[in-house]
Amino acid sequence: MRFVGVKWRSSILFRVMMTTFFLSIILISLVGSILFIQISNGIIREKTTESVSEAQSLYDYSQGQLDATLYLPSLKLPKVVAKILQASDLAIPTTPREVVLLGSPRVHQTNDKFNGSSGGLDQSSIPQDLRKKTRKSGVAQWVRGTVTFSDGQKKSAIIVGNSIEIPSQLPYELYYVFLLTEQQTIVNFIGQLLILAGFLLIIMIGGVSWYVIRQVINPVRDAAEIAEQLTAGDLNRRMQVIGQDEMARLAISFNEMAVSMQQQISRLENLSRLQQRFVSDVSHELRTPLTTIRMASEVIAESKEKMEPAAARSAELLQSQIARFESLLTDLLEVSRFDASASILELRETDLKTLVNQTIDQLQLSDHEQIRTDFPEEPVFASVDPRRIERVLRNLISNAIDHSEGKTIEITIRQSLREVSVGVRDHGIGFTERESERLFDRFWRADPSRSRLRGGTGLGLSISLDDAKLHQGTLKAWGVPDKGANFVLTVPKAPGIPIEGQPISANPNDESSTTFLMFDEDDI
Amino acid sequence: MTLIMVVDDDQDLAEMLGIVLNGSGFEVDLVNAGDQVMTIFNAHQPDLVLLDVMLPGLSGIEVCKLIREKSMVPIVMLTAKGDSYDVVSGLEAGADDYMVKPFNPSELVARIKVRLRRSGVESSTTLRIGDIVIDQVAHTIIRNGKTIPLTRLEFDLLVALAKEPGRVFTRDALLSEVWGYQHADDTRLVNVHVQRLRAKVEEDVDNPQVVLTVRGIGYKAGTSQA
Repeated sequence: MRFVGVKWRSSILFRVMMTTFFLSIILISLVGSILFIQISNGIIREKTTESVSEAQSLYDYSQGQLDATLYLPSLKLPKVVAKILQASDLAIPTTPREVVLLGSPRVHQTNDKFNGSSGGLDQSSIPQDLRKKTRKSGVAQWVRGTVTFSDGQKKSAIIVGNSIEIPSQLPYELYYVFLLTEQQTIVNFIGQLLILAGFLLIIMIGGVSWYVIRQVINPVRDAAEIAEQLTAGDLNRRMQVIGQDEMARLAISFNEMAVSMQQQISRLENLSRLQQRFVSDVSHELRTPLTTIRMASEVIAESKEKMEPAAARSAELLQSQIARFESLLTDLLEVSRFDASASILELRETDLKTLVNQTIDQLQLSDHEQIRTDFPEEPVFASVDPRRIERVLRNLISNAIDHSEGKTIEITIRQSLREVSVGVRDHGIGFTERESERLFDRFWRADPSRSRLRGGTGLGLSISLDDAKLHQGTLKAWGVPDKGANFVLTVPKAPGIPIEGQPISANPNDESSTTFLMFDEDDI
Repeated sequence: MTLIMVVDDDQDLAEMLGIVLNGSGFEVDLVNAGDQVMTIFNAHQPDLVLLDVMLPGLSGIEVCKLIREKSMVPIVMLTAKGDSYDVVSGLEAGADDYMVKPFNPSELVARIKVRLRRSGVESSTTLRIGDIVIDQVAHTIIRNGKTIPLTRLEFDLLVALAKEPGRVFTRDALLSEVWGYQHADDTRLVNVHVQRLRAKVEEDVDNPQVVLTVRGIGYKAGTSQA
């Protein structure tokens, strides 16, 4: 049944075939039944007319014979009655018939002296209704019914009855029973013929509709197939245009759509290629002069001692601003690489504990900035791009230091079976809910008046988020004004497996995450 | 005096490089176009080549291949792109190291000094790795009496491995030992050069006996089969 349901929904051919099939069965059986009833009625009617007139002449003859016993003494009544009851005597050989002679019932008297029947026919087979009608009217009455023989056989028949007078006897009724055996055979045969014809018709209608539907469906199927191939990236596929009918029009518009799609895609591809090209050109063109400037500034800075104080300070400023310019350029290029989807992950099995420690070392922090670390004892390996993850960590940690107001920063690493989280928590100025919405925007700063302690470019968090996404990971932030902030980076341990949960929740007050955590640690 | 050939089409950068390198006690040859490199190289025989990847005439990668056909001189590429493709194709063409613009001049000088360092000088012992004999004084390696020519970097790499036969070197360890990097995770340098080295010293590159890979960690020296 499920197969039928699926087919019904997925295939027009199947649906139309099924509908055609059932509708034609209903129609054909209706027409067949009407035909069958008409034909069989016709046959029976003819037989009835024939039987009634035959019965009439037999009756006349029998009455004549009985009347003759009155003036022809040689004719003995019992013999005549016996002769009447020999049905075959006057029979046309092809029409089988039986005779029943019954005395009309009388109150307080028995009247069955001459009762009898031919061929072992059960006398009670004659319906009482017919007998009543026969007794009342004076003319022949008939009915269709079933008669029973002494051997138990039942047969369909036309029973024609009339009153008959037996001399010096009470009234009798004479019934002729015309068996419908032959007619039944004919009717059965016609019925079988009709059923056979019906079957053949249904099959032929099925075949024709299958053929016709296929003519309509095949181009649609082709179109679907080609659309699938187009979707899969084979942009050169087209439909065949045959003739000038509706299907040809479908094919033509389909192909036009494919062409326009291909043009759009190649235009976009071109744009993206141009963009990447532009990025790499800008990269080269800006970097070469910047290298020269940087070297020049270093050479100048080396002879600072020999300069006047103003010139020496200028040399220092030149140096630091070149460094800032450089990191801005690097970040901008990184951003445009992300925008052009030209970023590539260079994955490597990395111990995140080592990576975090390295990052902290490289920040070369002064003493008052306290960092507390909370790492699991076992190594925390994950397949990541160490350059990118280090960049994210550097960003998060230096952001935390900038906003911690000298309070302790906690760095936590937790792992589950599939993912690793690094949390960076500070207890500094934090941020409001509204600020949190813009946190990852480019060049956005929480408070423009705050000094740029570490000379961030304003692109750090945006790039970090892109880096996390490139790893199919997440970067989540939580913050409350004056209570601090918490940033949690979560990446999958193996590439291509999207993360399912976070070993560390972004909200440090989230109790449920703690239980989740403990569960995971037990699990490992 | 040590002679360094600087190949860069940007005249100002080349001049600046000249000033910085002069200040560090090197002599400098400035070349502006790729197609002039070989003439000057043959005439002056520099001790090290600083080569820009993007050059008019002949690309830096082509120049690199041309130099490698003739000489084992150390080559440091200068690239404006950190893109993987440029770096890897430069290294495969035979460059020993690369610097991404804009670089720190003191770091450049430090790297140049590492590349010019005579690694085997302090030791006169003969080392063995696989079926190869390393003569640190003569700066040659010999297999079955035949000398195999190596670049200085490849020689350093082989010596670093051979000096501590039991030790498994991580790529980071090799980077700091051979290239003088402090914090770097550019394993492409190691991977590409191990491939180049194997192409020269292994009898069957697909089944290395001299430089063995330790899966997931790094490399180690093959045991002597003598």
